[in-house]
Amino acid sequence: MPIACEFEYYKPKTLPEALALLAKHKGKAQALAGGTDLLVWMKEGLRSPEAVVDVKALKELKGLDLKGGALHVGARTTFAELIESKLVKEKFPLLWECSRTVASVGVRNRATLAGNICSAVPSLDSAPALLTYEAVVLVQGSKGKRDIPISQWFTGPKKTALKDGELVLGVKIPLPKKHGACYAKLGRYRGEDLAQVGVGIMALANDEYRVAFCAVGPTPMRAKRIENALNGNKLSDELICRAQELVPQEIKPISDIRSSKEYRLHMAGVMLERGLKAAAARLAGEGPAYGESVL
Amino acid sequence: MKKVSIQFKLNGVLRQLKAAPNDTLLELLRDKLGVKSPKTGCDRGDCGTCTVFMDGRTVRACLVLAPEADGREITTLEAISKNPSPLQKEFAKRNSFQCGFCAPGIVLSATELLKKNKRPTREEIQEAIAGNLCRCTGYTPIIEAIEAVAGKRGA
Amino acid sequence: MPELKTKPHSKRNHEPPKHDGSKKPAWVKPALELPPQETPRTAPEASQTAYKVVGTSAERIDGWEKVTGAAKFTDDIEFGPGLLYACVVESPHAHAKIKRIDTRAAEKVPGVVKVATGKDFPFKFGLYMKDRYVFAQDRVRFVGEQVAAVIACDPKTAKRAAALVKADYEVLPPVLDPVKALEKDSALIHPDLGKYAHVPWFFPKAKTNIAHWRKIRKGDVEKGFREADFILEDTYTVPRYAHCAIEPHSAIGLFDASGRLSMWTASQSPFTQRHGFAEALSGLGLSHKDVRVITPYVGGGFGGKAGISMEILGAALATAVKGQPVKVMWSRAQEFYNTYQRQGVVAKVKLGVKKNGLITALEHTLYWDAGAYVEYGANVVNAVGLSATGPYKIDNVKIDSLCVYTNLPPGGPYRGFGYSEFFFGLESHITRAARQLKMDPVAFRRKNAIREGDILTYGAPMNPNGLLEAIDKTAAAIEWGKPQKPSGPDKAVGKSLVLFWKAPAMPPNASSCAFLKFNEDASLNILVSGMEIGQGLLTVMAQIASEILTVPVSKIRVETPDTDRNPYEWQTVASHVTWGCGNAVKRAALDAREQIFDVVQRTLHLSKDSLYLEDAKVKCRTKPGWELPFESFIIAGIEAEDHTFKGGPVMGRGMFMPEFSSAISDPETGQGGHPNVHYTTGAGGVVLEIDKRTGKAKVLKAALAVDVGKALNPDLIRGQVTGGMLQGLATVLYEDMRFDEKGRLLNPSFSDYKIPTALDIPEVVIPIIVESAQPDGPFGARGMGEHTMIPAAAMVANAVEDAVGARIKSMPLTAEKIALELNKK
Repeated sequence: MPIACEFEYYKPKTLPEALALLAKHKGKAQALAGGTDLLVWMKEGLRSPEAVVDVKALKELKGLDLKGGALHVGARTTFAELIESKLVKEKFPLLWECSRTVASVGVRNRATLAGNICSAVPSLDSAPALLTYEAVVLVQGSKGKRDIPISQWFTGPKKTALKDGELVLGVKIPLPKKHGACYAKLGRYRGEDLAQVGVGIMALANDEYRVAFCAVGPTPMRAKRIENALNGNKLSDELICRAQELVPQEIKPISDIRSSKEYRLHMAGVMLERGLKAAAARLAGEGPAYGESVL
Repeated sequence: MKKVSIQFKLNGVLRQLKAAPNDTLLELLRDKLGVKSPKTGCDRGDCGTCTVFMDGRTVRACLVLAPEADGREITTLEAISKNPSPLQKEFAKRNSFQCGFCAPGIVLSATELLKKNKRPTREEIQEAIAGNLCRCTGYTPIIEAIEAVAGKRGA
Repeated sequence: MPELKTKPHSKRNHEPPKHDGSKKPAWVKPALELPPQETPRTAPEASQTAYKVVGTSAERIDGWEKVTGAAKFTDDIEFGPGLLYACVVESPHAHAKIKRIDTRAAEKVPGVVKVATGKDFPFKFGLYMKDRYVFAQDRVRFVGEQVAAVIACDPKTAKRAAALVKADYEVLPPVLDPVKALEKDSALIHPDLGKYAHVPWFFPKAKTNIAHWRKIRKGDVEKGFREADFILEDTYTVPRYAHCAIEPHSAIGLFDASGRLSMWTASQSPFTQRHGFAEALSGLGLSHKDVRVITPYVGGGFGGKAGISMEILGAALATAVKGQPVKVMWSRAQEFYNTYQRQGVVAKVKLGVKKNGLITALEHTLYWDAGAYVEYGANVVNAVGLSATGPYKIDNVKIDSLCVYTNLPPGGPYRGFGYSEFFFGLESHITRAARQLKMDPVAFRRKNAIREGDILTYGAPMNPNGLLEAIDKTAAAIEWGKPQKPSGPDKAVGKSLVLFWKAPAMPPNASSCAFLKFNEDASLNILVSGMEIGQGLLTVMAQIASEILTVPVSKIRVETPDTDRNPYEWQTVASHVTWGCGNAVKRAALDAREQIFDVVQRTLHLSKDSLYLEDAKVKCRTKPGWELPFESFIIAGIEAEDHTFKGGPVMGRGMFMPEFSSAISDPETGQGGHPNVHYTTGAGGVVLEIDKRTGKAKVLKAALAVDVGKALNPDLIRGQVTGGMLQGLATVLYEDMRFDEKGRLLNPSFSDYKIPTALDIPEVVIPIIVESAQPDGPFGARGMGEHTMIPAAAMVANAVEDAVGARIKSMPLTAEKIALELNKK
């Protein structure tokens, strides 16, 4: 299936050059990082840009390192690089765990975290981790920089707060306190599949919890009501039950080709329970190894 | 639409050419350069038959624009087959493949795995080739061949 | 090594079913006669059953080509810069009249060579029933049906121009359900059905949506139910499925200036295609000799590349751009919605059983969602009609298998040819009946299992088979009767064992041929037109020739067909090529051997009877130490005393047609004839763990025993079991095709119609080979490729019930369905 649309390909060497190109082709330019979504959309006629701006030569978009108390994930950073990073595995286990569930090795070798959040599909695997870690998206436009909290990033299915002409430089993730985490992903298959439901859970000391979902609403979401019910309480079956009862208030799943609304609702509760238990166990240095599915 | 001048290494040979921006690397390799081991299976990154190495990592050639090959090193199964690997020999010996359409992609994915991880577990092997769909074999004979080669290597 | 049985079918004391009570009807034929087995003439010390090559796990002769990437598939062939590309314009409606097609805008696009529509090709085609068109004519019958095509110099131009073709439709109500399609007020999908040409064993009902109705009436089903102690009746539904071969369909056609049509296709059926192209395009003056079909390696078939589907476009469009090759390549999406699909079915099963476990009667009614065109799919319906008893001896049977037109994509062959579908209901039902009797479901099956000589639904006797052995070995493999502990508190483990059988569904005169050519160094080239679709045909054919001619497999090359060069083969379908093509190769090898013996006798005056072959040499029982290497004479001939040469290149020729088969029977009862050449039988078992909260099923163990007659290459058989088992499990655990209320396929991609990955396989698969020789098979072999996926669905359904008590009667049994079922309570 060929890409039928015609466009100019640019690979700017500097950020101003890139921003100028985006400005010049206002509304008709597409930034290209890993391309794993963009190429599919162009083949299927869902995107027909007149300019494709390859950002892989921009040094400002490079890097995966800890600076100023936060992890800086440059927009060129692939999921493979995240998975291979010891730093990510040790300090940001939820990000590490969810990255491993994105597509397959050959896709993860190209697909980037920044590209993933720009695609902003509701089933976005990286979103629960970024939401619980309270990441910030670093954006540069011709008029300057913006830091957009991830909680304000997703505005609808495949829609983000990114404005025309802006470019994502990377994602900043504040270094969290010691925590246990679990990303539970429900797919029809164990191998590569899009999430039917995704739950990201972070368990911190002093009975503090953070919970976020994907694939159960128009955008990925933090589950504050559930967090409030959990926080300050010792994890027990009864507490989990109470948290599960809040699930229908938190999520707005639909029925689609991958799952019915009913199954999504049911599974969000099951996954919340198993995820909480795994995250708590991992905080205590127990439980299944990271990467091992709880489903 | 301007064609883009690119220069890249293909199976060890430096190539210089003009690529259409809307050609994929897969189209460039198959239709313009006659490299046929990467196959068109789904054209959207789901099946893995178009797998090639780009700078030593497997990528989906159907999801790479041809101009993105500029400055890169592309390696396909054709290059590896000049000096067949123990992995290829094991696959042949065990009748691991049936129709063989997925074979080039799986050979490359498994090669990448063994490069990164000398003694993979069975689960790691399964994960490494989970992006390469095969409808014939049930995967078991493929997994077993990779296990056998990995076992021999470490021994 | 098991003994090769050569006895013909035993005649047990079974009277053929009687039509009107007294006289044997005229169509009852004597027990079939089978060709005598050729006596192996290998080494004298070798016993009749000690084979050297056959029965060994020879390495695939195409293996190295495939692991090195050297193997060429259709899309890999180069046609140079003159190659044109076609892009198809598709119907957005499931059912509509075409009012007008405006191609003008598309024609103006630079690079466009031709825009073709139905008007250019008013041709019908079809394998068993001519109900299909190259392009839709006056009406479209499914979403995605081709109404026009743009041929351009490159694929992108073709795609852009195709978007400019405007077609206007008058939308008609779509018929999407096979049961509703039978209602009186249902729209008619083929108003001219009564005029369509079809094979004589189809019974279409004009002015209805019934394209074929296969009836079986055996014994007295009412009496059978009266004799039953209880009757179990229920309905089972099976949705549509996609083959998902990883290689998409593609076809390249070249109609050259001299008027010959060459086609390169990804096909299981080169000769059937040649015939179909020649027939459909006969209006253009083409004869069979002018049509050539070349089929390189096929990247997975599973029935999806049998017959003719999109390839007709390559042939027709080539004639529109004379002198230039034109390529039609299906996208993955088209692969889903415009090739054959496995038909859905609604099956009503009524079973009468005695307290002692004896089945007294079966009524099985199947409504097949056959799609917009049934030229191939109707034979699936027919095959099931003949066999929907399963491998059970049932004296009173009523089967109605109805092929119903719907406005969904054309149904067609898919590995298992309808058997997977009906076995889901039947084998679910059998287990339920046994449970109701409080009888062990395996014992119940064993009691009713069909045996050699038992009378089949159509009146002929059952062939020799190792079904009981298969049951016992499968039961042992899954430790039937021994409870297994689940791995956790939310888990439950269930087991099941089911039976299967399948016969090749072929026209009675489907034939296979082989040529075998020796080369100077005594290496061999074998020409057959059986296709290598991954099953290992080429390797097995080499093994058969090697066994007889004693040339090692490594010195034998078997290539994929070119209809100009290779001899006839009906098709590579129906799991028949090991048997049919294998018989042809065996005969070709025997023919070559006879030529060798003949020239040695003529020139060296050694009696033929004393000669034998060993290590590619001729040897003589009466002259120890004497030997004549093949390479010394196999091309050059043998120099006689007068220095003349006798003999010359040795070329074997072999043909096989099952001359005992016939498809004609009484239309109202199905009695008479011998439509099925034989059945391959077996059993499948599973140990399944269910997570009761998530509904997820994990296959802890899957075992499948299949009676292959003789395992010509055990490794390849095990490969079929492992692969077919996963394909079968996928249909029950994961996959299905979903359509919206307008008939549009909702999941035409590998993202949405997912197939299992390497992480989704059973923990253990146990292939079990049973060998109860097929008297007319090569070395006793019969086919087994399709059979490996047939039992999977019922296996899982029964194990789910065993584990968690939920009986699910509609496929697939996804985690979602199981979890929601369990959480209803």
